[in-house]
Amino acid sequence: MEIGLAALASQLLVGLSRAMILFIVCAGLSFVLGVLRVPNVAHGSLYMIGAFVAFSIFTLFGSSSTGFWLALFLAPLVVALVSLIAERALFCHLYEREHLMLLLFTFALMLIFGDLVKIIWGADYRSVMAPPFLEGSLSIFGSSLPRYNLFLLIIGPVVAIGLWLFTNKTKIGKIARAAAVDREMVGAVGINVSWVFAAAFVIGCYLAGLGGALVAPTVSITIGMDHTIIIEAFLIVTIGGLGNMWGALVGSLIFGVTQSFGALLWPQFAIVFPYAAVVIVLIWRPTGMLKSVW
Amino acid sequence: MRKGSLAAIVLPCFFSLLFFFPLTSAAKPIKVGVIDCYTGPAAMFCKEALNGFKMGLDEINKEGVLGRKIEFTTRDTKFKVDIGLSVAKELVMREDVDLLVGTISSGVALAVSDYCKGEKVPLIVWISKSERITGEKGHRYVFSTGENTAMAGKAGGVALAKKPFIKYWIAGDDYEYGHAIADAAWRNLKERKPEVEKIGETWWKVGEPDLVPYITAIMGAKPDAVIFATGGGSMVNVMKTAKVTGMSEKIAGWIHTATDIAILNALGPGAPEGFMGTADYYFYHPDTPANKAFVKAFQTAYGPYPGFPAFHGYITAHFIAKAFSKAGKVNKEKFIDALEGLTIDSPAGEIKMRACDHQAMLPIFMGVTTKVPDYDFLICTDMISVTGDDVLPTCEEIMEARGK
Repeated sequence: MEIGLAALASQLLVGLSRAMILFIVCAGLSFVLGVLRVPNVAHGSLYMIGAFVAFSIFTLFGSSSTGFWLALFLAPLVVALVSLIAERALFCHLYEREHLMLLLFTFALMLIFGDLVKIIWGADYRSVMAPPFLEGSLSIFGSSLPRYNLFLLIIGPVVAIGLWLFTNKTKIGKIARAAAVDREMVGAVGINVSWVFAAAFVIGCYLAGLGGALVAPTVSITIGMDHTIIIEAFLIVTIGGLGNMWGALVGSLIFGVTQSFGALLWPQFAIVFPYAAVVIVLIWRPTGMLKSVW
Repeated sequence: MRKGSLAAIVLPCFFSLLFFFPLTSAAKPIKVGVIDCYTGPAAMFCKEALNGFKMGLDEINKEGVLGRKIEFTTRDTKFKVDIGLSVAKELVMREDVDLLVGTISSGVALAVSDYCKGEKVPLIVWISKSERITGEKGHRYVFSTGENTAMAGKAGGVALAKKPFIKYWIAGDDYEYGHAIADAAWRNLKERKPEVEKIGETWWKVGEPDLVPYITAIMGAKPDAVIFATGGGSMVNVMKTAKVTGMSEKIAGWIHTATDIAILNALGPGAPEGFMGTADYYFYHPDTPANKAFVKAFQTAYGPYPGFPAFHGYITAHFIAKAFSKAGKVNKEKFIDALEGLTIDSPAGEIKMRACDHQAMLPIFMGVTTKVPDYDFLICTDMISVTGDDVLPTCEEIMEARGK
């Protein structure tokens, strides 16, 4: 098969848009990893809940465009609320535990969330439709690019800028960054670390919910979508540098773009590409592309 | 004591024993072990199959079989071969089930089938679709009440050969089912229309959430049609992606069971029109009183319209009941003998269990997705029916595959 420059360019855009969803989810995971030192396996479940809540809100408003925008706005907030409850009731008592314990705890939470989703929404496939103006595709360089992917290409940088502003320009963001580097010191200067942690956790989970709501129009919303994303998300934060939010961006770009090019260049073995990239990165830079805070 | 009075005591005792013995054994129900995937994306099909099975059993248990009731117990395989195998063993050894029924995963079905062969326990596979189950890997103890990849692929191949497409692309989930259906469809299409050309293949991992990069890459290669070899939630993803990328307007697509109600209902009005799909059952086709009655009963009991899993579950229950009643006793070997060549009445007409390979001879219907005013989801129209006789490989082909 001949592959033209146009096809490569269009495939690059598709890969970048996939990377944006991955970035939003992974930035949240990385933020929680960095500030709280919690390897939150249940992050994928919150992403799944985000997608299901988005579906419920979307259908509540008669599957209309208004429903879609409200879902995009409200679903991450619902996820944030769920995570706030989980943090205050459970997580805040466990921060001092070993990582292995936390890993097991969040794994248990993932199973519980998975069953809760099955009880509330059932095992049926669900689907959300994007508003009409985001449906269909544009012809770019003679290849087609779905409008929704273009929308994701805009949303991704907006979220990245928002996160940068939050961590660099707000007081709580700065404290969170400081806590990521040395949390004892932050506590020692009289800051209520407990609430900083709660805020960081909720923001991380909000991003998972946002990722879920954003991905809803492009996938079938179903139980099990948590497992798929969490494996990819952990790979991405590992190659990006544990706990480094910008590392999550770099990792997502590597993962998304290699997946997309893999599908074009060697479609029979497309599965291998992003994972091969992960292996190469880890051999080359065992602690990830950017500085790990762990 | 006189001889007569002894007889007067012994004989009634003897007859009452004869009378009571079958009664005590009548209390022991026939036990069916159901192993299927009740967690993860495949769970919805498995739950529906179980509902169809339960509905069938409710009908059967009103009168019972051989004076007994049929009971079942379920185990979750989690779509994993090792778990499937261990729960199958547990049901056979600890629960002492008379037969096993399941499962949606072909990998699990093949592993459990192998185990059942060794243990001489009947296994009826109801929604896994690998042709190897009753083909190459078939044996005395395994049956299938679902259509398989050979049948679906043949039906797809036969129907696609009538279409004008020449350049094909094959894409799908990288697992047993995906490859089996792709191979069967391509083999049959190529046999009937040698000029067709396969210009490429794409395989993604099972459960791959974002198919846009794959579909846009395929579109760039400009095939006339794509054979999608996907199952479960991937079908929803493929059809969604075909619509958002505009593929469905430019390139034809076919997926086996894409036109099932579970998929089209999930997609709602957002499903692409003109997408080709095959299935062995639709709640609106065949439009017969038997099917209407089945649909009504299923909706009353469970709410949604029945799809192919409910249909398979339901006919499995009836095959089991009729086979035991024909066998005359609860005996595994006699059950198998009775089930071979057995015919039952189903919502889709008479269905025979072929004796040579233990495969139910199901018809396959191919159609295209169309918007209709009666439903808020798309349904399948322009139906082409291919009979069970026509879609099944011949007994000679099966024996050849088994190396006999």
